[in-house]
Amino acid sequence: MIQWNADLARRLACREEEKRALAPLIRRLMELDRKARSSGFLSLEEELREADDPLLAVGLRLVMEGLSGEALEDILATYLLAEERSGWPFLKACVIVEGLIALAESDDPSFMARKLVAYYGADRALAVLEELERPEPATPAAGR
Amino acid sequence: MIRSLASAAPPPKASRQKKDALFELAARAAIAAEQARSGGVAAVEKAAKAESRRYLRTGLELVASGIDVEAIDLAFAAAQASAAASTAAGDGGPELELRLSLVAVKGIASGEHPYVLMRRMTARLGSEYFEKAESWILERIRRRRVRGDSLVVPGDMPDVVRSLALDKAGLERAIRTAGRDVTAAALAGCPQESVDLAKPLFGKIGGAVLEDDAAYLRSRLSGDEIAQAQSAFLDVVKGLEEGGDLVLGEADSVDEDPAFVAELTRSILGLDAATIKAALRASDGRLLAAAMQGMEPAAHNRILQALPNKDARRILDAIDEADPLPRGAVRSAGRQVASLLLAAAKAKKALKPALERLAAIRDWPD
Repeated sequence: MIQWNADLARRLACREEEKRALAPLIRRLMELDRKARSSGFLSLEEELREADDPLLAVGLRLVMEGLSGEALEDILATYLLAEERSGWPFLKACVIVEGLIALAESDDPSFMARKLVAYYGADRALAVLEELERPEPATPAAGR
Repeated sequence: MIRSLASAAPPPKASRQKKDALFELAARAAIAAEQARSGGVAAVEKAAKAESRRYLRTGLELVASGIDVEAIDLAFAAAQASAAASTAAGDGGPELELRLSLVAVKGIASGEHPYVLMRRMTARLGSEYFEKAESWILERIRRRRVRGDSLVVPGDMPDVVRSLALDKAGLERAIRTAGRDVTAAALAGCPQESVDLAKPLFGKIGGAVLEDDAAYLRSRLSGDEIAQAQSAFLDVVKGLEEGGDLVLGEADSVDEDPAFVAELTRSILGLDAATIKAALRASDGRLLAAAMQGMEPAAHNRILQALPNKDARRILDAIDEADPLPRGAVRSAGRQVASLLLAAAKAKKALKPALERLAAIRDWPD
């Protein structure tokens, strides 16, 4: 699926407790997907204003403009590489980019989740997926 | 799938001054892309002659010579080695310029939309240039105001777009599922009204890209190819509908009264530019935008051409922002506009048939 090289894989490495913070991020991306599907992509304007990660803000803007496919991927990957993140910030950025590409491809939220849990590694992906598919806990600001 | 990550390298570092210069180069390349889409090889040759930077000039010359997109990297192999050596020696400027120029040249060769190309190129300069690129694009949109000619390929596409537009999210889902390329090709064979319904869903920039791509493809695709794209789009809609992801609305509630549209259009086409200008240059943009939903494209063009550029832009902005309105609201706006036109036509001592036609529209029954 994802074409990684050794350098990128090394940059993804981070602590297990940091990885736990991925679930709220994935939930948030799934929520964006749900909202876009029900109310249209321009309804994501509010999320755009609240985006705390510049990559998420830039990517959302591009997705709202209708950019998808190779052009979107090229632009987001370029920003991602230019920022020289590594460890948790890099992992977070990769999940954001992958989520935005899924959003632009109109993947439904559960399909998006299946793509994103891969970042937990094969040993934890299924358990996290089950957790994500349970009703959302009552923490509206989670992941922000 | 982030395929680009595995093969891409981080952009080389360059000074702020160099990046600013490269932003200007990107802007020139985007303008060349725009000209290439309308003027073909001659426009690319002209841009190459005017270009002072070596990599971009050479690339434009190669595009003008008809080089295959796949062969562009190969043509720059020696330059890539030399630029990489500069980076290794501590100066990333030449390599950054080369990479940006290669993106530009490949985009121009493949007919990529200039605004998408601008986004791609300026991404190489870092996220601090994102807003600057956006402002540049919006300024181009503000200045460029051309309503394309319509080529209507017979079929259900315009009716389906109108029905889908009753639920904006539904129309957007259909377009995104079909993909922008298929949608633009399908819209290439639709009246301007269909494009006007689709483009607000993607904001100012995305809407302009969709409209431009539809106009560009209209001049490049055959009627059969456009019909195939429409058929592919309608298949997507059918698939979404069968899967319960989409419900087609009843088009009648936004569908215009054909007699009213024909009469209003005929009245406007029968007026001279001075009368239209006198009546409408200071009118409320939203009112006129609403009334224009009940006119044929020929009447849109007549009005926009009669108005000074500044007012035409204001009206076009209002059209971009307007939602599709129900028949009653469009008719009401049309009656008010007819009333304004009637007053101006009387002042200009227009001929009796023109006055009678406008009066009939002003008094059109519900």
